[in-house]
Amino acid sequence: MIIARNITRTYTTGDIETHVLKGVDVTINTGEFVAIMGKSGAGKSTLLYQLSVLDEPTTGTLTIHDINVLALDEKEKTSFRLNTLGFVFQDYALVPDLTAQENVMIPLLMRGMDWNESKLIAQASLQNVGLSTKFLNLPNQLSGGEQQRVSIARALAGNPKILFADEPTANLDSISGEQVIDLLGDLHKSGQTIVMVTHEDEYTKYCNRIIRMEDGKIVKEEVR
Amino acid sequence: MRALRIGLLLGFRQIQRASTWTTLLIIFVMTLTFLNLVGVSGVLVGLIVGSERAFREQAIGDIMLSPRDAEKSILDTQSIVRELETYPDIQSFSVRYKGSATVEANYKERRDLSAERDVVRARITGIDTEEENETTNLEKRVVEGSYLDPNEEGYILVGSLTLDRYASGFGDAFDSLREVQVGDTVRLSTEEVSKEFIVKGVVKSKVEDVSMGMFIPEKEFRRIFGRLDRNADQVAIRVAPGVDESILKARMVASGMDTKADIKTFNEGVPKFLTDIKNTFAVLGTFIGSIGLIVASITIFIIIFINALSRRRHIGILKAVGIERSTIELAYVTQAAFYATTGSLFGALITFLFLVPYFDAHPINFPFSDGILVVETGATIIKTTILLVITLIAGFIPAWLIARGNTLNAILGR
Repeated sequence: MIIARNITRTYTTGDIETHVLKGVDVTINTGEFVAIMGKSGAGKSTLLYQLSVLDEPTTGTLTIHDINVLALDEKEKTSFRLNTLGFVFQDYALVPDLTAQENVMIPLLMRGMDWNESKLIAQASLQNVGLSTKFLNLPNQLSGGEQQRVSIARALAGNPKILFADEPTANLDSISGEQVIDLLGDLHKSGQTIVMVTHEDEYTKYCNRIIRMEDGKIVKEEVR
Repeated sequence: MRALRIGLLLGFRQIQRASTWTTLLIIFVMTLTFLNLVGVSGVLVGLIVGSERAFREQAIGDIMLSPRDAEKSILDTQSIVRELETYPDIQSFSVRYKGSATVEANYKERRDLSAERDVVRARITGIDTEEENETTNLEKRVVEGSYLDPNEEGYILVGSLTLDRYASGFGDAFDSLREVQVGDTVRLSTEEVSKEFIVKGVVKSKVEDVSMGMFIPEKEFRRIFGRLDRNADQVAIRVAPGVDESILKARMVASGMDTKADIKTFNEGVPKFLTDIKNTFAVLGTFIGSIGLIVASITIFIIIFINALSRRRHIGILKAVGIERSTIELAYVTQAAFYATTGSLFGALITFLFLVPYFDAHPINFPFSDGILVVETGATIIKTTILLVITLIAGFIPAWLIARGNTLNAILGR
């Protein structure tokens, strides 16, 4: 469960201050599939970065599974992300020198698993996203949709408590985008908590709540 | 351990997927750095060592007997000779008699007594031609004519620098004979005796004792210089292969030989200034090599910095998915270590398997010595370790600079 209260985020460039988030209160319950929507510049991605501990809000409080994550130091935050959160980025964010299998294995190895164990889990995870024949392919040998599925496999391999997805379909064609959303829908059905940023309504079909943002504030919440 | 394992994996995968040409170029730079670091001082030291080696092979041997301080010659030389013949560890030795005489060339053609004489003051060495050749390979230094025959008398070998045509490059540094060819007659004169000799050959060497001296058979020397007691001035000893000359010297001392002659191993006999020059050249070479080391470390810094900068986003992503900063830094240090280790390895292989044997067989022709490449294993290990450590630091700093940046900024490329 994520509880964020009065989150603000201000970027300062020289004398200019840009207030991207202006006092956001949000709660994400375990098992929810929440979409954060809004126009460009609304602050939806910035909110995702705060909730996923990739950035630190200027003010506010943030508790994830009863842990005050803003009190953690840099190393503890890294460890927290490793053990609790999963990430799917807009442009897949795979390490280009590693095979699909190795990309999925890296966070598992970092958790202390041995090579064989992490390899088996990585292969199972890749099979779950339909890439059983692409274990040893490098990212540049995969299509955009396949790369995004590797990214999802990497995020899920460690059984994260919360999966964050930042516009996971933005760089994909409609068919691949649909496949990725179906995959996330399946995950949600199995109980995975998902927080996704998107600006396309058609990809929110599996979401049970939609948060709409404008100018750094939540302006509307729709529960389905 | 976990960080090390993943850092190594990331590092090696980056190397594996990198452009082959880029990798080869970096390794080439590191190899050149190694060669610069080891080779420059090796050549400078080799100048002196080459000179020492020639001096050892062509002049004083592995052990040298000379007169004790208060004596003019080696006492009881013949009993020493008999004793040396019983040592199985001695491969050969040469008994030498030394003296100074004037050698005149144009005395037959000179009609006018006021005309300039073609004369030099020369160091004359009386040798047993066979023993000397076994000990110093003097015959190999003959560049004109031929070596002395043990059964002949009245022949002389002259050093190349006693002749004008060889010594002209040295200016007026010393006197030399003008128009002497092999077969010409010269007159050797001491204070009491003069004798004519036919020039049998010319010997040339970068060892001054050879190139500035003249050699005649020891029997004739003793007659001309009146050395009837047969006490010699030098005994040059060549030990058998594998024999430690200091151990042999100890045996000679134990037998009481040191009461008749001063006994020095080659290393004891090397003048201190030569050792000082050698050490100075080693420092100078290391200094010059260090400039190469700095250039290489900057090269590695730039390569790793550009590499890390171009992968800044991936570094951010790795941090986002929970990879520790130290692991990412280690990946880049691994690359630097690979470049330095591989470069040094190639450098070492080239040095020890090619350059050292090559220069041993084909010394560099310096004016005063035949320079070889001197590479000591211990010093090489130290220099390689320094190269490796500096490269690791040069690889770590840019990785540290990039990896310590804000994770989100790295991911978003801002």
